[in-house]
Amino acid sequence: MTGIYIHIPFCESKCVYCAFSSFVNREKENDYFSHLKKEIENTSKSIKDNVKKVDSIYFGGGTPSVVSSNKIKDILDCIKKNFVINEDCEITIEANPNSLDKQKLAEYKKMGINRLSIGIQSLYDEELNFLGRKHNRNMAIEAIKSGKNSGFENISVDLLIGIKGQTKNRFVCELNELISLGIKHFSCYMLQVEEGTKLYNIVKENEKEILDEDECVKIYEECVRTLEENGFVRYEISNFALKGYESRHNLKYWSGENYIGFGLSAHSYIDGTRFANSNNFEGYFAGEKSLCEKLSDSQRIEELIMLGLRCRLGVDNQKLKQLGYDLTQNEDFKNFVRDCVLIKEGEIIKLNPQYYGVSNFIITRLLP
Amino acid sequence: MERIKRIRNFCIVAHIDHGKSTLADRLIESTGTLAKRDMQAQILDNMDLEREKGITIKLTPTRMNYTFEGEEYELNLIDTPGHVDFTYEVSRSLAACEGAILIVDASQGVEAQTLANAYLAIDNNLEILPVINKIDLPSARPEEVKKEIEDVVGIPAMHAPCISAKDGTNIDEVLKMIVKEFPSPKGDENGLLKCLIFDSYYDNFKGAICLIRVFDGTIKVGDKIKMMQTGKTYEVTEVGIFVPNEKTVDKLEAGDVGYIAGSIKNISDIEVGDTITSADNPITEALPGYKKVQPVVFCGVFPVDGAKYNELKDALEKLKLNDASLDFMPEVSQALGFGFRCGFLGLLHLEIITARIEREYNLDIITTAPSVHYHVHKTNGEMLEISNPSSLPNPVEIDYIEEPVVKSSIFAPPEYVGAIMELCQEKRGVYKGLTYLDSNRVRVDYTLPLGEIVFDFFDSLKSRTKGYASFDYELAGYSRSDLVKVDILLNGEKCDALSIIVHKDKAYSRGRALTEKLKKIIPRQLFEVPIQAAIGTKVIARETISAMRKDVLAKCYGGDITRKRKLLEKQKEGKKRMRKIGSVEIPSEAFMSILKLDDEDK
Repeated sequence: MTGIYIHIPFCESKCVYCAFSSFVNREKENDYFSHLKKEIENTSKSIKDNVKKVDSIYFGGGTPSVVSSNKIKDILDCIKKNFVINEDCEITIEANPNSLDKQKLAEYKKMGINRLSIGIQSLYDEELNFLGRKHNRNMAIEAIKSGKNSGFENISVDLLIGIKGQTKNRFVCELNELISLGIKHFSCYMLQVEEGTKLYNIVKENEKEILDEDECVKIYEECVRTLEENGFVRYEISNFALKGYESRHNLKYWSGENYIGFGLSAHSYIDGTRFANSNNFEGYFAGEKSLCEKLSDSQRIEELIMLGLRCRLGVDNQKLKQLGYDLTQNEDFKNFVRDCVLIKEGEIIKLNPQYYGVSNFIITRLLP
Repeated sequence: MERIKRIRNFCIVAHIDHGKSTLADRLIESTGTLAKRDMQAQILDNMDLEREKGITIKLTPTRMNYTFEGEEYELNLIDTPGHVDFTYEVSRSLAACEGAILIVDASQGVEAQTLANAYLAIDNNLEILPVINKIDLPSARPEEVKKEIEDVVGIPAMHAPCISAKDGTNIDEVLKMIVKEFPSPKGDENGLLKCLIFDSYYDNFKGAICLIRVFDGTIKVGDKIKMMQTGKTYEVTEVGIFVPNEKTVDKLEAGDVGYIAGSIKNISDIEVGDTITSADNPITEALPGYKKVQPVVFCGVFPVDGAKYNELKDALEKLKLNDASLDFMPEVSQALGFGFRCGFLGLLHLEIITARIEREYNLDIITTAPSVHYHVHKTNGEMLEISNPSSLPNPVEIDYIEEPVVKSSIFAPPEYVGAIMELCQEKRGVYKGLTYLDSNRVRVDYTLPLGEIVFDFFDSLKSRTKGYASFDYELAGYSRSDLVKVDILLNGEKCDALSIIVHKDKAYSRGRALTEKLKKIIPRQLFEVPIQAAIGTKVIARETISAMRKDVLAKCYGGDITRKRKLLEKQKEGKKRMRKIGSVEIPSEAFMSILKLDDEDK
């Protein structure tokens, strides 16, 4: 079934590391929402019926929680009208602790949203300050508690690794605290320095402002251990969930299922073709695409390997063979299996979780 | 006036960048040899590389006509390469002349190659005409420089023309002086044929072409000629001059400069410095000064993409057509696959050839560290000549090794003497002398092992003297030395392309520097990789590349897979430039980076 992504490109402020499409200036907000609705309506007319069956909807950003909940409801209603929504559809909204209040949460709940993804990033004020976040530790904890009190049982949090001052112990304390608050899903990313961000300039000035590779890895390894001890499964390289709480939406990206993205710079994948919307308002309002690419067999092979190995499910060599590539004939593959870097279970090939961190290196050696 | 009295054969010599090629341009222009619209800067430097580097690699003679006091003179300008690598070629072109213009930069004054070239000209009994160039520069100090020439070179210079070749100032003055100061050639056009080959090149249609100076006799199409060194005979099929393009003439007579063709298939059949005479009526004594040019610097050249071996071979063969001094033979390296061991006249020659392979033939290549020819005397009395460190025999079989040495002189302001001497000591130099040329110029003489010069000597000299020093050297035979081979082992496997031969006293520091450098260059691998430097089985230095821990775990936003794919594409490209030693992947740059050890890593 199809997943739907809606991009809300507005934020209260820009975080130092952010390289995504997001704007603090909200003057285009009303226009934007009317174009979003138009896009949803037009798209539904142009796609086949079987692609219209939806079992996951995801509001991402930006910060979807900064806009009024009426606008979110409007969009959700529009989707419900134009698509066939499955009964147990996963409906997620990303939120920041500072723009989440009891009233909003109640309204989210009422309109059918059943999963919260809160951008906690850290529970330490100095780290949050450095990142340019507008919330503090207390607000983060309060947001989670309110979410639970409002009836959200499926709450995910994002955490960042690599901030100066972070240590193994400190990070484990954060995890334990969040687990005890009833978090069912964690997304843990390493702080990435992208060109054009404030962080890029900060690090250029002094690379000690963030942790180096070895320090990051130590924390990450500890993170994996702690979560696994507490019953979490690393179902994708940077995603951990208690059983039954894996993000259905997230998995679609890795498993080659269809998904449709609405809004600025949103990406879609429909039956072997990738699309992306323009990443500026003018272009988006004019309906411009920045990408429309039918994948060739060799691209599909590359994607199957690259995406499959990121997940616990692995990659199915049978599928690769159908496209004309037998992974088991790759010279490096044999060495990787010998050295237990890869695990072969019949036709399913998985990456040993121990080597998740270096997946890019391994993947590039497995491509045709 | 007699024909031969109206000929002037001359060359221009100078330190690099003092304006040799620009003056040549102005002379060609002023004499109307080429119209201005046909001129391009540095007309005699045909190769892009020559123009770019501001150096002359191949010789190009030009005949110009110049009228002075009612008489038309024939001026033959023989351009010369200005670099130490080509000293022998320079000396042969000087031997074809009676006069030499010595250009000196009006602000820089006398430099190492000014002196080296002036001495070469004096050795060849040439009349020297000093010319002060670049007087248009604000920093020009022509009068001081004239004095410097008199003091340092020891030739009168007070009447030297002060010119700006760039602006065309006083060029006519130079032309007049050429006619007045330089003697006309001596020779007998009715005598037995005696010509000097001072250069050669290859023409796809005519075969190998000899550039010659006729000393006695006359040469014309149909003549049977003999090369005195090789003993080979040919029939002349074409005779011509350069204006500056080739132009056929009926004959060349005593005193003339020009070219001949004779269906000579191979450029290596022509040896620069050889004497041409008549096959039927030969002279008995050849012109003096002939010597066979031998390559002195060697390195392995490998295609980055192993599949391009044949293309590399093709490129080398084509370059060899025009450059008899380039030597190459196939070589197989475990690390780098199939390639060639090439021999060059010096580092500049090496740099030029490798740059031409990359540019003109569009091939990515890996070159190994330059090395020299060692004489390895084995305990069984056998002597091996070795230029590839990996072919050095087992230490127990070696009695002793000899390495080539050079006599070098370095010119610099006195404040750098300390730094220069320190460098020469580090490079195992033997002090020979120190001469104060004037209050702001010193000449330092050292005997140095050639193997040390090919190893980053120029760059170190430049950085330690802020670019003020100039350097010149000549080969001075072989000398016994305590040399060892240092091997590099990656994950326990020897990487043949990284082996070097060094003096025993330096083996430890070089080994340490090499392993440290490689640690920086070789990216982390999936597993821990030890890097060792070893003499025989004895490990002298060790570093460890720790295993790779992560590559980015970043958020894949809103299903933007393309970003991930682009990253992967980039990594895939990078992988193509990797070489594998056992299970270790090494970037191709690693093989060249070891050339630049001394300065950064000391």
